[in-house]
Amino acid sequence: MAHLSIPLPARRSIHFDVSGFNGLIRLLTNRRVQLALLILGPILFLTIFRPYLPLPGPLETNLRAMTKPPSFEHLFGTDRMGRDLLSRTLAGVQISMFVGFAVALLSLTVGLVMGTLAGFFGGVIDRVMMTITDIFLAFPSLLLAIGLVSVMGTGMLPVVLAISLSDVPRFIRLQRSLVLTLRSRAYIDAARTVKASQLWLMSRHIVPNTIAPLLVAASIAAANAILVEAGLSFLGLGIMPPAPSLGNLIRDGQTYLEQAWWISTLPGTVILLIAISLHFLSDGIRQVLDPRSRK
Amino acid sequence: MNELRPIRNTLLDVRDLHTHFLTDTGTVKAVNGVSFEINRGERVAIVGESGSGKSAMAMSLLRLLAYPGKIVSGEINLEGRDLNRMSERQLNGIRGREVGTIFQDPMSSLDPVMKISHQMIPPIMRHLGIPEDHARAQAIGWLDRVGIPDAVRRIEAYPFEMSGGMRQRVMIAMALSCKPRLVIADEPTTALDVTIQAQIVELLKELTAETGAAMIFITHDLGLVARFAHKVGVMYAGKLVEFGPVRDIFANPRHPYTQSLLDTIPPVDQPERRRLAQIPGFPPDMKLAIVGCAFKERCAGAHRQCFEAAPEPTPRGPGHAAACWLPEGLGSGRQVERALIPPIEPAGEAGEDRVVVEINDLHKHFTGRSTLPWRKPSAVRAVNGISLRIRKGETLGIVGESGCGKSTVARLLLGLDPATSGDIFIDGMAQMVFQDPSSSFNPKMTLSNIIQEPLVVTGWGTRTEREARVRELLGQVGLDESYMHRYPSQLSGGQRQRVAIARALALKPSVVVADEPTSALDVSVRAQIINLLVDLKQQLRVSFVFISHDLLTVSYISDKIAVMYLGEVVEYGPADEVFRNPAHPYTQALISAVPIPDPVAEEARTAKPLSGELPSPLNLPAGCSFASRCPKATDYCRSHKMVLKPYSKTRETACHYAS
Repeated sequence: MAHLSIPLPARRSIHFDVSGFNGLIRLLTNRRVQLALLILGPILFLTIFRPYLPLPGPLETNLRAMTKPPSFEHLFGTDRMGRDLLSRTLAGVQISMFVGFAVALLSLTVGLVMGTLAGFFGGVIDRVMMTITDIFLAFPSLLLAIGLVSVMGTGMLPVVLAISLSDVPRFIRLQRSLVLTLRSRAYIDAARTVKASQLWLMSRHIVPNTIAPLLVAASIAAANAILVEAGLSFLGLGIMPPAPSLGNLIRDGQTYLEQAWWISTLPGTVILLIAISLHFLSDGIRQVLDPRSRK
Repeated sequence: MNELRPIRNTLLDVRDLHTHFLTDTGTVKAVNGVSFEINRGERVAIVGESGSGKSAMAMSLLRLLAYPGKIVSGEINLEGRDLNRMSERQLNGIRGREVGTIFQDPMSSLDPVMKISHQMIPPIMRHLGIPEDHARAQAIGWLDRVGIPDAVRRIEAYPFEMSGGMRQRVMIAMALSCKPRLVIADEPTTALDVTIQAQIVELLKELTAETGAAMIFITHDLGLVARFAHKVGVMYAGKLVEFGPVRDIFANPRHPYTQSLLDTIPPVDQPERRRLAQIPGFPPDMKLAIVGCAFKERCAGAHRQCFEAAPEPTPRGPGHAAACWLPEGLGSGRQVERALIPPIEPAGEAGEDRVVVEINDLHKHFTGRSTLPWRKPSAVRAVNGISLRIRKGETLGIVGESGCGKSTVARLLLGLDPATSGDIFIDGMAQMVFQDPSSSFNPKMTLSNIIQEPLVVTGWGTRTEREARVRELLGQVGLDESYMHRYPSQLSGGQRQRVAIARALALKPSVVVADEPTSALDVSVRAQIINLLVDLKQQLRVSFVFISHDLLTVSYISDKIAVMYLGEVVEYGPADEVFRNPAHPYTQALISAVPIPDPVAEEARTAKPLSGELPSPLNLPAGCSFASRCPKATDYCRSHKMVLKPYSKTRETACHYAS
């Protein structure tokens, strides 16, 4: 036998693989991801376990404690109807998180499917889809969302749909460009020489290699959606009072900013923290996924 | 070369140079104590595989290293001045003025948004202190000397308006324009085609001889070294393991690495084919501390001393030093283990074998969009009427320069692109092995899944049967079973190419199309892959189509050769015959352009390199497509097309004047 067996070499370039357990470890050991989790973790914990915490309900009024500054009893203070602001803020975070997650998931899914089809098949499908996305991209996203909400009405579902609709074209564009670079890879050609079906090519070779950048984009989209939702609610177009949302809490407080600073400021700080930590998270994911950014 | 050189003739004296790359994951000791001297007007070649530190060394000489790279210690004495201790400002007076540089990639080393004139004239003005009109005249003069036609006009061109060969000429003109005493060329011809490479090397040789400039030429191609250099330094793992006059290095190498490297090259003259020598294993990881000789794990002559201390370069002859404990290196152990490859059956017997691939009058035209709707769009005729037959167990080599259509033929054979016209009949299945092992696998799939994919897609066997087949295939390509669950990124280039071959063989295809399967690999690994292909060919009787621009490798591995030029086969026949006695002028030029790793043969070579470049495939000439570059061309050639016609019993050629 003329072959020789070659000893295993030292690992040279470490290509990072998200799907594995290894990926999770690397993600959790990344500084930025850790920082993001340090901020997001407690907020999420409190939000999820709010019903079990010794807090008054978010809609519960208390006429003996109106417009009280932060104290041990009410950590975030109370508003002019005596409602506990911590409870209301956490309820608002719940809505924000839901909106962020729903928008990210929705635009990721739609973008993934349509972008893959456009990039992979090209031709007429591609041209039609690109024309539509270009039209959508021509509008500023907040303006588009405002327009859609005023057509569809207020409430959670219209807000999610409105924000997603302005995000989807970006995801389609991103996915399409990723697919275009992957489409000419040698392993696609190799699979085609054994007559692999189009579905096989897309599901085995193309989509798995686009997930990583899409996740980065999705976490940015989530942060953005939270801010847009807050903005819409602030303008009175999103979640309607008395239901609390971070946006309408700030709106409520702005008229009393001089007498009761805490009503607007504390929910505002929470939005800021969530948005920053989601950006850290996406930055961390990108760093972990992209071997070039590691130094 | 025979004149006596007094000591003060030394131009550059490098002493104990150490360059490290400080990365987060560790310090890469890229250059690890290199010392050498260069005399005035001397051409020194530094050879080594990728990762040997040759480029880092060359860049260190002018302190052109990018951020994580740092010269840790050492002296770089250029005529007595230590460049390593100079300020950046002083050094800028030397860069370009006294030392010129030519980089590997002519596509990226010229500024794409600046005209050639703007890139050439200011440095000349600054370095030589002359007014602009003089500088311009000089720049034009240099462009003219490096063979750029119509230099007065072309100096106002942008880089994108020029071909790769032309840009490299511009780089050479720029490097030489300030009359430097030393030129550092880092793989200046690697990105170019053989015939262009031959032109550029010839040009560099002439111009440095003319201006008296010394030269450091970094390369991995031993053949080029033989053609070009006065002295050769062989680098391995950041050290110069051997340094000496070119004839000594080739005729009498003393370091086992040099010896093995020379043996891995397919021989030029091959009355009988022997297996290529191969260097087992891989170069060491430069992040780890190396105890003893860096080459010991791959060396057949390694003994205890090699594991304890690293040998220093010691003299082996006049101007010849090698860093090995053994005075003769591998010595007489060099020629062992090179089994004879049984010769292929003569054509008569092979004729009884069935034809597995038949290509008839194949055309592939790529049609662009026309700018004006009523105008007929222009078409690139990538493949312009070729007919070939491949028998079972036969290897067909397709050679030609880039743009000749050889890769298009491969894609058509594999059914990846539809042909414009013509037929392809394949008895069985065609599979492929790709050129670039770094992008040819899905990074998210394990090797087991990669090799299995053809089986899964075609619904072959059960899961356990498929896994058994994967084990069998891994064994056939010489990989351990433990590789099954690894990812492609964990393998070296050579190992990936083995996996690619295993995968291609999974469905027992009748023909495997290998498009430049070895061109991305290092010399020592290349021999391993070539030997593997030769073995598989013998064992499995599978046919191969071996596509490459590397003529030595193609002629070594192939039974038949088809030479392509601008989408046409210009010569076809048994590999040995075509290589030893080419009939078509293009084949002759191609073969004479191949650098041969033998300085004596290279010196005796008289043929001039082919002039000119490939015409645009957008408007092919009416007559013979090679007429524009052919030394024998007549008016008849320019107006009359020649088709492939029998030249001898076994060969066909497309030339009016072949016989």
